[in-house]
Amino acid sequence: MPGLFEGFISRHRRGVTLVVLIFVSLVFLVVSNRAVVLKPKEIGLSFTGFFQKGASGLFRWFGDTAGSIRQLNAAREELDAARARLQDMDRVAREIVELRRQNATLREQLDFAQSLPPDRIAAEVVARDTDNLFSTLTINKGSRQGVRPGMPVVAYQGDMEGLVGKILSVGPGASQILPLYDPQCLVSARLDSTRDEGLVRGEGKDHATVLLQYVKKIAKNAIQYGDLVVTSGLGGLYPKGINLGRIRDIKALAYETSLEIEVEPVINFDRLEYVFLIDAQGDVGARASAGAPGPQPTPRDAAGASP
Amino acid sequence: MNRDFRVTIFTLIALAICILLQSTLLNQVAIRGVRPDLALIVLVFVSVRRGSMVGQVSGFIAGIFEDFMNVSPLGFHSLMRTLIGYLSGLLSGNVFVDPFLMPMILTVIATILKGFLAGIISAIFGIGSSGFITFTGRLWIEVAYNGVLAPFLFALLNLVRVFRPADKEKA
Repeated sequence: MPGLFEGFISRHRRGVTLVVLIFVSLVFLVVSNRAVVLKPKEIGLSFTGFFQKGASGLFRWFGDTAGSIRQLNAAREELDAARARLQDMDRVAREIVELRRQNATLREQLDFAQSLPPDRIAAEVVARDTDNLFSTLTINKGSRQGVRPGMPVVAYQGDMEGLVGKILSVGPGASQILPLYDPQCLVSARLDSTRDEGLVRGEGKDHATVLLQYVKKIAKNAIQYGDLVVTSGLGGLYPKGINLGRIRDIKALAYETSLEIEVEPVINFDRLEYVFLIDAQGDVGARASAGAPGPQPTPRDAAGASP
Repeated sequence: MNRDFRVTIFTLIALAICILLQSTLLNQVAIRGVRPDLALIVLVFVSVRRGSMVGQVSGFIAGIFEDFMNVSPLGFHSLMRTLIGYLSGLLSGNVFVDPFLMPMILTVIATILKGFLAGIISAIFGIGSSGFITFTGRLWIEVAYNGVLAPFLFALLNLVRVFRPADKEKA
């Protein structure tokens, strides 16, 4: 009998190896993934659901494409006329938003000077995900430098501070950031102009935009393209008033009670090199060395600082 | 040393270099945030050249390495790359790999397969923390990117003696 078994293995060495490797991978997946669905019925549902979503998306794509072609000619003339006007208005709106933001920033800095600023840890982005399927960023600071999971991460680009995301996992000398555009990243937000609240969620498909949801439809007339979206501070994870992005598109879907607003992040993630971790609990100063960065440390700090 | 073992070691070194490049240097050449998957091209090349056994073992170990580096659950990339390595290896000896067209076709199919497997695994295991982009714009950018780079990488790997077919190596 053992000879028969060994004979089978030697005859089907390649297939047996495949089965073993797949089995090991599946065991790893089940053990390491808490959200795993173990019931056969639900596994089947997930499996068929994948194809159903794919087919539905494909049909919708064809339908939308056909509809778009029909509307294209009619919309072209209208678009040309509107584009010129929109560009002028957009420029003016951006200038107003920028002035408003500067005003708010100056006011905040005035308040800020009267209270202790939260400690910040400067870090350099050293790597990104190896694959295009996930979207984490790796930085060169870890628990040894006082980094903890959940810490908000900001960056400065073009004299503007913007939210990058939050710390997802921490190693001794490196950490991973869950960026704003990841579908798992949820940030309570507020429209800077109208003060309407909503929830910003990454779309995952593109670095260029995130989605602002749950803003009531009644606010549509008051919202302008280019309006600034900032963190609301609700939930306690992200400090209030950090810039998230500017409104790029507003959709009022008939079957939804709230608006779906496309927001262009103020941070260009493709150009991200240095980030700053906000330590709301303020114990970084105790851990960091004498050269600990201030509220706005330089990139040199991020690259070199190591306690 | 067993020849397959030697090839697997060299493959793993090549895959590790590719994975490190993908997470660092290749961000500079990303198109809309999408980088080419050099590790996939190397895996397809080695599997087609050396067969399923080398392909699946190399894919599994490289996938585990990737899982450690990423936020993905352990087993995600290993399962995906094991299957791609095995299926690519089935073509070994059955297709003539010309310098240009075949590398492109094989890599394009492997990238689409990768997107398909990623979607299936994420659906079954409820993995939601990724920008899952199965059959959306980002996947097709990667398909095109990998397809364009494949002939060059295949040509480069052809120069490495250990990857050559056994009969050619003896000659």
